[in-house]
Amino acid sequence: MKFRYGTWLLVGLIVVALGAFLLWPMAHVFTRACWDQAGFTTLYLRGLFTNPVQVEAVLTSFLIAACVTVSCVGVALPLAWVFARRSFPGKAVWSGLLLLPMILPPFVSAVGMKMIFARAGALSTLCMNLGLADGPVDWLGAFPLLGVVLLETLHLFPILYLNLVAALANIDPSLEEAALNLGASPGRVFRRVTLPLARPGLFAGMVLVFIWSFTELGTPLVFGIRNVLPVMIYNSVAEIGTNPGGYAQVAFVLVVSVVGFWISKQLLSRSRSVATLGRLSSGRREVPLTRGGTVLAYVLIGGVLLLALLPHLSVLLLSIGRRWFLTVLPDGYTLEFFGRALNSDLTRTALLNSLALSLCATVLDVLLGFGIAWLCVRRRVAGSDWLDALAMLPLAVPGLVIAFGYIGCFSGTFPNTLLDPRFNPMILLAVSYAIRRLPYMVRAAHAGLEQVSSTYEEAAANLGASPFRVVWRVTLPLIGANLLAGGILCFSFSMLEVSDSLILAQTEQFYPITKAIYVLIDGLENGLNVASALGVWAMALLGAGILLAASLMGKRMGQMFRAG
Amino acid sequence: MSCSVPAIEVRGVTKRFGKVTALDGVSFAVQPGELFFLLGPSGCGKTTLLRILAGLETPDAGTILFNGKDIATLPPHERGAPMVFQNYALWPHLNVRDNVAFGLVERKVARGEIAQRVADVLRRVGLEGLAERMPNQLSGGQQQRVVLARALVLNPAIVLLDEPLSNLDAKLRVEMREEIESLHQATGLTFVYVTHDQADALSLADRMVVMAAGRISALGTPLDLYYRPPNRFCADFLGEANLIEVTAGNGMPAGTGGGVTLRTPLGLWQGTVVAENGPPLTEGQGVLCLIRPENLQPVRDHREGLNVFEAEVRGLRMNGPTVTVTLSAAGLTLRATVLTQDSLELRKGSRMTWGVQAKNTILIAAT
Repeated sequence: MKFRYGTWLLVGLIVVALGAFLLWPMAHVFTRACWDQAGFTTLYLRGLFTNPVQVEAVLTSFLIAACVTVSCVGVALPLAWVFARRSFPGKAVWSGLLLLPMILPPFVSAVGMKMIFARAGALSTLCMNLGLADGPVDWLGAFPLLGVVLLETLHLFPILYLNLVAALANIDPSLEEAALNLGASPGRVFRRVTLPLARPGLFAGMVLVFIWSFTELGTPLVFGIRNVLPVMIYNSVAEIGTNPGGYAQVAFVLVVSVVGFWISKQLLSRSRSVATLGRLSSGRREVPLTRGGTVLAYVLIGGVLLLALLPHLSVLLLSIGRRWFLTVLPDGYTLEFFGRALNSDLTRTALLNSLALSLCATVLDVLLGFGIAWLCVRRRVAGSDWLDALAMLPLAVPGLVIAFGYIGCFSGTFPNTLLDPRFNPMILLAVSYAIRRLPYMVRAAHAGLEQVSSTYEEAAANLGASPFRVVWRVTLPLIGANLLAGGILCFSFSMLEVSDSLILAQTEQFYPITKAIYVLIDGLENGLNVASALGVWAMALLGAGILLAASLMGKRMGQMFRAG
Repeated sequence: MSCSVPAIEVRGVTKRFGKVTALDGVSFAVQPGELFFLLGPSGCGKTTLLRILAGLETPDAGTILFNGKDIATLPPHERGAPMVFQNYALWPHLNVRDNVAFGLVERKVARGEIAQRVADVLRRVGLEGLAERMPNQLSGGQQQRVVLARALVLNPAIVLLDEPLSNLDAKLRVEMREEIESLHQATGLTFVYVTHDQADALSLADRMVVMAAGRISALGTPLDLYYRPPNRFCADFLGEANLIEVTAGNGMPAGTGGGVTLRTPLGLWQGTVVAENGPPLTEGQGVLCLIRPENLQPVRDHREGLNVFEAEVRGLRMNGPTVTVTLSAAGLTLRATVLTQDSLELRKGSRMTWGVQAKNTILIAAT
């Protein structure tokens, strides 16, 4: 095949961008973790396993991640089975609603959760009113980790659910029919055929959930839990120049994530070779649920949704509640906080910052993502597998790592320029948002390009269109919906990006929404209410974005959140 | 063996998918030990019928009896009628041994016996030594044998086969066809075999059902249905058919068998009404006349009982042992199959006399 200069220029640009903003910060983290003035040393990495404080943090982080993963399986497996195998009225709506819990960063729901379960909160008051308790009960105080696990479970189960539904849908129906036919009861079929075949997808999803909860910063921060790795890393940003301990922690988190991600990719590639054996027999007909079954399904889905959206509801109440202290529901209602959320300097700047940053990140992502997908699917340039793997890498690199790496390498190398996050973090914030969401964009574009036969493009070229004109007149119009869906997702998630925002934005004029919410939570004068109102604004925006993207992507929505 | 209780009896089975009627009041019986075929074009409902037998679909109406017992409400895993799936449905996470042993494990057969029976059946289908292979390490023919073994190892009364040869290349098909025949003879089990390939059905079937649009079009032995098809669909679907619209002539013994005078575009002919299937004839009635290509031959000396006509040879197509001749006469196009050794004098464009015996001029209803 012959490549034109344009193709290589594009490859070069992409490689330079990913190299500078993804690989370099990661390499920097590793170098600083292993080298000091004296040369190579494992002192700081060893500290993770010898220093009692750090050991406790590592163990606690692992414990939280493991509990979240297990409880996500408990929630997602029955849901996925019902959605993949049965039909019932309202299924499409329900399956869209199940994505809603993902829309708010769990640290915002943590605020709502606190209102419900705190000593002076709703549940405690309800128990007192009903005479079940003598005095205020501090539900969260007793088991603070439980709150973190619960919130992260309710936030992350949709990811596992999407992975599982895809895995179950990929199983050829005749494999299960053959088992029935040879004498296995439905329960036995599930255990001996369905589950083993879905296991790679299940494990891959579990790994994703594990990584996300292992590196979650906002939730433990709001619950005031200090002895977990992400919070320790957050706190070590201040002494980044003097203490390499932070680098060692980041390097450790990165290794865990990348190894986990690699494992899940291996699992999925194996499941793919399994799924392609023989041709898929005739399509699966979903079994309609009986009336009783439908009621059970509604109870299950409704229960999970109610639980998952309870903190969100509580955030909503906080945003319109006048006074909510030692009462089940707020004393009175007001729209005042919505106005204040838009009018105070802090919040208005934050909203505008977030909008601008997300817009820039989205444009960057659409360009980069389409470029990468086009090079991989259509041009099949040498090393396109590597390019694709590189573009997917951000899935495995926690925001924490990227933000920490940016401060480390850019502050030192370009002091007091626009690339110095301590001087002005805007460019790096936009870039970090873009890098973090790049995989979703690449996937959306990838799916689009694979759907559209390349003969359309060949016909255009045959009739005299130059490569650029082919892309402009044929390719882009054909996969526009996919790019739009990917773009909406990038935008929505950038609006509520947590770790990058908390770490990179150090001064008030550069705060994005999430950082503003975090600062407001501890603020005076109804700070909590204003924070909640801001959260509701963001929630509405994000929810609309996800529903819009889902309607554009249709069934392919699930692919966006899969592991490999 | 007497035919007292059928191995399978299907009574008035109807199945709809939304507005589409896949099966419309289908009834027939399969005798024990028969190799029974369900033959028809795609979409005729044959696979749906097989899946209903396996319990994978539930009929909207009608009953199914296995060996005299109504099993219509039994779930699939209690039917004991293992199926050979069209796409094999070999579990990719289990090796050959575990695939074959699957049903025995479900039946809680002792471990030692399982090993013994799996080894036996693998030897029987010629797969000894491959027990540890995974399905994706097998060729198409080997996968097919594993699926057969997986069904046969259960010693079932009934085996269901859904287009088992459709994924194999031509040479392998012939091989597997013979293999299935010999397995059937060796085991003496009742086989129900679904296919759209008339060659499979004609060469293997003890009896067969020809299906069209959810109904049974004909039921009988291959020989019966080939030479005495009850209707146009069946005549057309099995083998090649010359179908000529003709009119019944004078002095008919109405509706009885035997010789009948016909007015055809090719002259006055004698035809045969097949007693049980033939249409009741009245004078002047339009009927169809079926002539199989191999019964149409060049005539050198005219004999009694032969319907003859002049025709021009329009084309010759060599098939190996035979030659297919395209003939044109009185505006009709006919096909004849002649042994290659008898075709040497035939030339494109030559006119000569062709004939078909009255007993091979079969009358069937015009609709």
